[in-house]
Order: sequence, then C-alpha cells, then structure tokens
Amino acid sequence: MQLAMTVFSVVLGVTLVVAVLGILIDRNAASHERKEGR
Amino acid sequence: MDPTHLHLLLNHVPTVGFGIGVALFVIGMFGRSDDLKQASLVIFVGVALVTIPTYVTGNAAQVHLQERGEVSDATNPEGMVTLSLIETHEGAAFLALAFMEVTGALAWLALWQFRRTMKLSPGMGGTLIVLSLATLGLMAQAANVGGMINHPEIRGAEEMTTFAGHFGRVAGDYVRDTPWTWIAAETIHFVGLSMLVGVILLIDLRMLGFMKQVSFAALDRLLPWAMLGFAMNTFTGMLFFAAAYGQYVNNPAFFWKLVFVLLAGANTLYFTFDRTWALEPGRDAPMLSKAAAVGAMFFWVGVMYWGSMLPFIGNAF
Repeated sequence: MQLAMTVFSVVLGVTLVVAVLGILIDRNAASHERKEGR
Repeated sequence: MDPTHLHLLLNHVPTVGFGIGVALFVIGMFGRSDDLKQASLVIFVGVALVTIPTYVTGNAAQVHLQERGEVSDATNPEGMVTLSLIETHEGAAFLALAFMEVTGALAWLALWQFRRTMKLSPGMGGTLIVLSLATLGLMAQAANVGGMINHPEIRGAEEMTTFAGHFGRVAGDYVRDTPWTWIAAETIHFVGLSMLVGVILLIDLRMLGFMKQVSFAALDRLLPWAMLGFAMNTFTGMLFFAAAYGQYVNNPAFFWKLVFVLLAGANTLYFTFDRTWALEPGRDAPMLSKAAAVGAMFFWVGVMYWGSMLPFIGNAF
C-alpha cells in the first residue's frame, strides 16, 4: 500500500509540474498572438 | 561495426559538433543574425538527439571491454583500464547528457517561438548561451576522461576524478535498488508517450486531409505538449538505461528503437520549418508535408513497437 501511494504521489507530482510548464508555454504563445493581433 | 566503433565515431558529435553550434549561436546573438541563430538552434537539437546513442554505446563499449578481459578492478593495474575510470567517465557523461537534453529541448522551444514571432526573446537567448556553455564544459570534461580510457599514453600516475564522481552509477543503482523508482518512471513514461503520440497523431491526420476545418495554427499551439511528453520519456528512458544497461546494450530491439527515435526526431525538426503552418482552415497541405506526416506516423509507431518488443527480443527483463 505504501509503495502504491509513493508511486501515485511521484507520478501526480511530475504530471502537475509538466502541466504547469505546458500552461506557461501556452500562455506565453497566447500573449504573443494578442500582441500581433493574430 | 560494433557499438564500440559506433561510440568512438559518435563521441565527437557532442563535443566538436556542439562546440561549433555554440560558436555559431554566440556569433549569431552578438552579430544579430537570425539565420545564424536558427542554424545553431537546429545544431543544438540535432546534437541533443545524437547524444542519446553516444551515451548508450558508451556502456555497450564498457561491456565489450569487460567481456574481453581488458578492464581491471584493481586500483592501479599495469597498462589496463580500471572500472573506476570508466565509471568516472560514465558519471561525467551522465551529467553532461542531462544538460544536453535540457539545452536541446529549450533550443527546440526557441525554434518553435522563432517561427511564430520571427524573433528570439532576449531571455531565451541569454538562457541558451549560459546553458550551452555549461553543457559544453561538462561535455569537454566527460570527453577528457573518455580519452584516457582509449589512450593509455595520456593517463597520469594519479587516476582522474571529476566533481560528478560516479554519478551515473549512483543514479542507476538507486533506480535499480529502490522499489518505487522503476514503477513511477514506467508510469511517467506512458503519460509522456500519450502526450507525444496524441498530439503528433492529431497533427499528422490534419496534414493528411482530415478535420480540414481545424487551422494548422491552432494545432501548432499543441506542439510544446508533445515536446514535454518527449522530454518526460527521454528522462525516464535514461533512468531505465542507467539502472540496467546490461539488459539493453546487447538487445537489437533497443538499438532499433533508438534508430526510430532519431528518425522521428529528424522528422519533428522538419515540421518546425514546414510552411504548412501558415495555411488557412480548409486548405490542403502540400504533398511533401503529407509524406512527412506518413513518415512521422511510421516512425513513432516504430518507436512504440520496438519499445514493446524489448522483453521479447534479446535479453531484456
């Protein structure tokens, strides 16, 4: 049970970090598009 | 040609090849040449891809030398290379590989931004200069120790050490001996695979004429998610390899998987420059883009096929 919880926490943590990175990149791209009036 | 020859051939790419890329990038930044900047970013991405087989053929060369009885466990054997020196080289190379892959991923992101905004932001340019110089330094250190393995005439009386120590072995043994690491890395590998193949398949289907009402510009915004998936898989894949390289170095499925990863990576690089992204919704992609899309599907399915064949061909698991 402890192994399952550890694996779940690590996978969730890594996935959240990657999701935040993806959102930041996408927001940056959106702001460039707004500036250029695309 | 065995993996040892391949390692001796490839190991000049992350050192000399990357050095040329860094020099071009610095000249491009200070000379304000967008063409030079883009060319050097392509070199960064290409070298980051080639560094993966360079690293794994290093462990294959180690196994080859050990099988021939040319590696000694003693501290100072006459004329023989020590296991400790090989693991020092492995440690320096593992750290340099991590830096190289981060540099390659950022260079790809810079290329992607370049195509959309026609410029490189000062923040991204500065980060890439610092990161690429650090990577070049680490790679030179790994190459210096590696040269001593192959050239006894430059080995000193004292065995060479670096601040990375036996980092590759320490990380690999930790993944091998700790119960949660392999399972967590395997799960993250599948999350990364889903992100990568999901986005690539959507783009390839649009290129082939499906969902014509969707603009290429909208799909272009998804590309960084695919790159994040690729980064997750490169990182976890290297952990698997470091933990149990003996399972991979004599496994034909693993080498075919690497070949398909390189082909798929080159294909992705082509799409970074493809002019199809500028087309309006409803327009058809040119024939060359369609051919590249078919190639992408074939290569990525190939990566998955050879990955799933790892336990069934060769000696893995």
